[in-house]
Amino acid sequence: MKPLDDICIIDLTRVLAGPFCTMLFADLGANVIKVEAPKGDDSRTNPPFINGESTYFMSLNRGKRSIVLDLKKEEAKEILKKMVSKADVLVENFRPGTMEKLGLSKETLIKINPELIFCSVSGFGQYGPYKERPAYDIVIQAMSGIMSITGPASGSPTRVGASIGDITSGLFAAISILTALHQRQRSGKGECIDISMLDCMVAIIENAIVRHSATGVVPEPIGNRHPVSTPFDMYPTKDSNLIIAIQNNNTWDHFCRAINAEYLLEDVRFESGASRTENEKSLKTILIDILAGKTTNAWIDILLKAGVPCGPLYTIPDVVNDPHILAREMIITMKGHKKVPELKVAGSPIKLASQSYKLEKAAPVLGEHSCEILSEFGFSKDEIKEYSEKGLVG
Amino acid sequence: MAGSLEGIKVLDLSRVLAGPFCSMLLADLGAEIIKVEQPGVGDDARAFSPFIGSESAYFMSLNRGKKSVTLDLKDDKDKEIFWELVKRVDVIIENYRPGTMEKLGLSYDKIADVNPRIIYTAVSGFGHTGPYSQLPAYDMIVQAMGGIMSITGEKDRPPVRVGTSIGDITAALFATVGILAAINSRHTTGKGQMVDVAMLDSQIAILENAIVRYETSSKIPEPLGTRHPSIVPFQAFPTKDYYVIISVGNENIWSKFCQVMGLGKYYDDSRFKTNKDRVDNVIKLEEIISSVTITKTSQEWLEILREVGIPVATINTIDKVVKDPQVLARNMIIELEHPIGGKMKIPGNPIKMSLTPPVIDTPAPLLGEHNSWLLNEFLKKE
Repeated sequence: MKPLDDICIIDLTRVLAGPFCTMLFADLGANVIKVEAPKGDDSRTNPPFINGESTYFMSLNRGKRSIVLDLKKEEAKEILKKMVSKADVLVENFRPGTMEKLGLSKETLIKINPELIFCSVSGFGQYGPYKERPAYDIVIQAMSGIMSITGPASGSPTRVGASIGDITSGLFAAISILTALHQRQRSGKGECIDISMLDCMVAIIENAIVRHSATGVVPEPIGNRHPVSTPFDMYPTKDSNLIIAIQNNNTWDHFCRAINAEYLLEDVRFESGASRTENEKSLKTILIDILAGKTTNAWIDILLKAGVPCGPLYTIPDVVNDPHILAREMIITMKGHKKVPELKVAGSPIKLASQSYKLEKAAPVLGEHSCEILSEFGFSKDEIKEYSEKGLVG
Repeated sequence: MAGSLEGIKVLDLSRVLAGPFCSMLLADLGAEIIKVEQPGVGDDARAFSPFIGSESAYFMSLNRGKKSVTLDLKDDKDKEIFWELVKRVDVIIENYRPGTMEKLGLSYDKIADVNPRIIYTAVSGFGHTGPYSQLPAYDMIVQAMGGIMSITGEKDRPPVRVGTSIGDITAALFATVGILAAINSRHTTGKGQMVDVAMLDSQIAILENAIVRYETSSKIPEPLGTRHPSIVPFQAFPTKDYYVIISVGNENIWSKFCQVMGLGKYYDDSRFKTNKDRVDNVIKLEEIISSVTITKTSQEWLEILREVGIPVATINTIDKVVKDPQVLARNMIIELEHPIGGKMKIPGNPIKMSLTPPVIDTPAPLLGEHNSWLLNEFLKKE
């Protein structure tokens, strides 16, 4: 039994934000039908490749089925409308106005299926002065303020190394679709959802907005340090780096004893979280001196025994080999791809007790399920043959 | 029409960030959140700076629209109230270290016995299974262990923490997805279940292509500053006053870009002819472009480049974000009146729905503000 196995999703999205959202649904058991143009999702051309297939694409489209529909042709639009009449959800991430130009506006589709949940994901949203602008993740990261608070202290602003502008909007889109599915149980009505990448990034910049509105100070990059808690930073050790995260006085006490520096507990400069943050530079100099004396692993053993939150700094190979990460099935091997028999990708962090099935179904090759999907939606063998000959489906 | 989660009742035992962010999203969508806090001190975040009057702005920004009741979960009398609540709610959220609820005698199994429809959500650093399950974790630790720090920062310089607590916040988002999936599943099965979300897992899930890049090439992904790994120029360049983001996504844009920047002589230069050439010679090209961008302000470049259709942006600092016309038009900065904090600006909700939009109109509660409501109204209803 999968939590969403009675939900059918028509997925018109490309590249990252939309496909990330529908991948969450595929993981939860929904029937995700990826509708692709004859050229396929743009990300099918993103490197790196294995056997001619994009691993970027494969990592974002597991568990979905692919049908090729040329939506520039009238008859293909009719096929899509018939599919929409039987689906629960439609997700698209075109630039605002594109669905209208295709004659597939939300008004048109909701008339066909009043219970449809129509979700749009775009850079700036369906309304507001910038709605027409093109957006890439880096444009959104820059405009949301997150780059202005990420980076080395007094260094240049830095892009977060993964496309979190896209990914957070994929997450918020999934939340909004699920909440709309719940309300539909009561009201019997569908919903129109408008998710903007910029909105989503503003929603996750945490305390930076209240820090500014409460104090008037403009938040800046502060390296690896935490703006409020100290010590909460990365420190060099004898062989590499160590992360220490102390957020209250009790842990501070355990920490000082564990590193044989009880004298720090007597120092008035370090007596509270606020005073440690104020005297962060002096404290860091002292800690760097002490922590240079042992290796990262030696410190981790000592500090964890004392109950101090700490950890190593991992690179990607460390991540994919870590025993805990593997135990949580956060690195999974996808199977069953037509050209790439096995590929390691990230698993799902949503661990539901009822979820006894394994995530391993691979991404589809372009148009892999066209015929199968059309026949499920009630098209006859002759119709399907005719559509393929006309180049409407592939 | 009321919010989409109208009628859903949530018992929220969580503190600080990951749990409270999750229950805030549910509150925005119309769920009733009963936040249980320790008598006297409350949520740890009530002590986090900055303060407005006596109230933490940090706390207020994460707990809008919730009700606060104080219960001492070590006290038998208060435990009785807890069990009464268990009978009446749909969802429990807790972000204790795994094992804590069991020690309090409040394990998931016991809770599910009392209310089999309940959706029990545990958000923790490392999750309820696996060898690190019992280790303490904060955002910075999972950012470091999840690999995101190793790909964020300047090339050949130390890795950098993402400037917001992305470890907590993404866990909150995945937990919300899990809760809502479980609520939907309950419509068919009639049964609740446990949702176990780990901050570390959530970090792995958002690494985008870093894992497949490594698996395919065996090259360890590194920080690249603001640069894109496979498109050039696609990054921040210095200006007279700050930086400007320029995204040259294709050859057509590259041609226009060279013309408008007065870099015509480089258009035919064999070092920069194709995107692949530009990727190979990125350092030299960065120097050339920077020497031009530095001559004007970010705003001037914005106007010049937007005019010819080149994707461009300025890097907004927070003071600019809270005044940006698009951000304001989308209601992403809202002002709430708190009885002690007064008027304060907080981020809005990015879920824009036509039928049942999120409603944000109630500030964060004072500690124990709803104790008498709980005893005299909520628990009296059958």
